[in-house]
Amino acid sequence: MNATTGGVPFSFSRLLIVAGNTFTEAVRQKLFNFLLLLAVGLVASAQFFREFNFGSSELKFISDFGLGAMVFFGSTLTIAATAQLFFSEIENRTALTILAKPIWRTEFIFGKFLGVFAVIGVFCALTTLLLAGLLCSRENSLMALHPDAFPNGRLIHYGDLMVMGVLQWLKFGVLAAITLLIASFSNTNLYTVVMSFFMLVICHLQYLAHDAYAQVASLPLRLLVRMLGYVFPNFQVFNLADQVAIGSGLDAGVVLRVAGYALVYIAVIGGLAVYSFRNREI
Amino acid sequence: MTPAALPLAIEIKNLTKDFPLNLRGVKLRAVENLTLSVPEGRVFGLLGPNGSGKSTTIKIILGLLEPTVGECKVFGVPSGRVDSRLNVGYLPEAPYFYRYLSGTELVCFYARICGVPRKRLDERVREVIDWVGLSGAAQRRVGTYSKGMLQRIGLAQALVHDPRLIILDEPTAGVDPVGSAEISELILKLKAQGKTVLITSHLLAQIEDVCDRVAILDRGKLILEGDVNELVGQRDRQALIVDPLSPEQLDELRGWLAARGHALNAVEQPRARLDQLFISRVSRPDKGGQK
Ligand SMILES: Nc1ncnc2c1ncn2[C@@H]1O[C@H](COP(=O)(O)OP(=O)(O)OP(=O)(O)O)[C@@H](O)[C@H]1O
Ligand SMILES: [Mg+2]
Repeated sequence: MNATTGGVPFSFSRLLIVAGNTFTEAVRQKLFNFLLLLAVGLVASAQFFREFNFGSSELKFISDFGLGAMVFFGSTLTIAATAQLFFSEIENRTALTILAKPIWRTEFIFGKFLGVFAVIGVFCALTTLLLAGLLCSRENSLMALHPDAFPNGRLIHYGDLMVMGVLQWLKFGVLAAITLLIASFSNTNLYTVVMSFFMLVICHLQYLAHDAYAQVASLPLRLLVRMLGYVFPNFQVFNLADQVAIGSGLDAGVVLRVAGYALVYIAVIGGLAVYSFRNREI
Repeated sequence: MTPAALPLAIEIKNLTKDFPLNLRGVKLRAVENLTLSVPEGRVFGLLGPNGSGKSTTIKIILGLLEPTVGECKVFGVPSGRVDSRLNVGYLPEAPYFYRYLSGTELVCFYARICGVPRKRLDERVREVIDWVGLSGAAQRRVGTYSKGMLQRIGLAQALVHDPRLIILDEPTAGVDPVGSAEISELILKLKAQGKTVLITSHLLAQIEDVCDRVAILDRGKLILEGDVNELVGQRDRQALIVDPLSPEQLDELRGWLAARGHALNAVEQPRARLDQLFISRVSRPDKGGQK
């Protein structure tokens, strides 16, 4: 289990085989069926907003609501799918047969990650497209009804909406890596899910502590809070939704920085998961 | 040829494995100071009552568990290393696989992990599935398989990359007598191909039929090791099976034997073994149920 250079080199194709298998398993477990429900829900609620006749701010409503639903269901899907797909290997003892083959545990863990990441990718792509479709059709009809409310043409930045979808995907990637790290040392699925939700909340709210202590606290406490800010990724940085609908649009520099932020956390947390999984007794 | 003269497939030296039971440091010793070697090309049986440490030993050989003390080598490579598993096929006890894959997809998946070349992949997968007698059910999802079928697909998965060492943890648990006889046949075939097989089983009759050498564990300790023939063979006796003799003929035979300094120790009615009866009466399995 040590990283001694044995005769078997690290193989990306083996990693992809594990990822493909994980993805297939998710698809055949009908994990995606709930997307249909989500779609129906989104379309129905967009219809509901229409009754109030908000005018152009209705678009902002739909966009906020849609992205909110994406964050909520996406986080749930990420945590549940990662924990489930990992523990099915342990509980069905398939981890025994696969790790008894000439495969690095690193390949196994990153393969699992990539499989889950692909599942979330499909989720993000479909919800983003659905949301864009909803917004576009509503914007068209509003433009026909009140042309004067759209002096500069369309209000929604559709390209930015897609970028937003990608950023959410990366954020869920960080969350999947966190879940995998917890799963790599915990014994049960339930514990993993509960701990991951707890981490999700911390990652969403840690900026509050940061803001609150940044001014008032003494130096050691400030340093501690700052350090915690590095340990736990700040999920608030992915929240650029305000700029998408009727905003100023996304800044390319910010987007790249946020994407890099996510990738660094995925790499580091994934590495920790590998380290902890290497010492696990199957 | 003595076993020591052969190259070793598995070499275990002073192996001890403790499982921590709780945080206060109470430990369970599953294997204690075990030294064992499995020569290449032999069928080796690891026996012992439930909980005696057989599966634990196997998992250490495969690098799934770390030894607490001692070392273990497979073809000379320490078993924690990835390359020690290049030539090993493993069937775990009570296997349970990716339920959402079909039998073919499952074996194909493991074959690709083991690096079976793409060109030969389909052919090889079909071949091993045929070998274990599952061709009729190969397209079905593994989730629908019976216990015996799971063992068979597990066997296919263990053999697909043509390993030199095959480790079978209770391959016949839950398999009917016909199936176990087939598995025994398969093991003998593997042996004929020069493979090394390590097998655990509670069916001692089967072990006796296929194994060259056995070791018996009890509470993690090795209590007996040796060649099957040496351990159970009765060199100083022979059995003759003849047509029924009348009492006079029997007396005549006794006299004939006594004149040559032998004694007739027992006269018995030989009985067919129940498993042989079963095998001769039950239809051969229809290769996985095409009904
Ligand atoms: N992960 C574990 N944690 C704690 N104890 C364990 C663990 N795995 C095995 N043991 C213990 O180690 C001992 C040996 O178990 P093992 O599974 O090797 O037995 P076995 O010889 O294979 O038995 P069986 O014939 O029932 O399969 C048992 O007492 C078992 O309870
Ligand atoms: Mg066992």
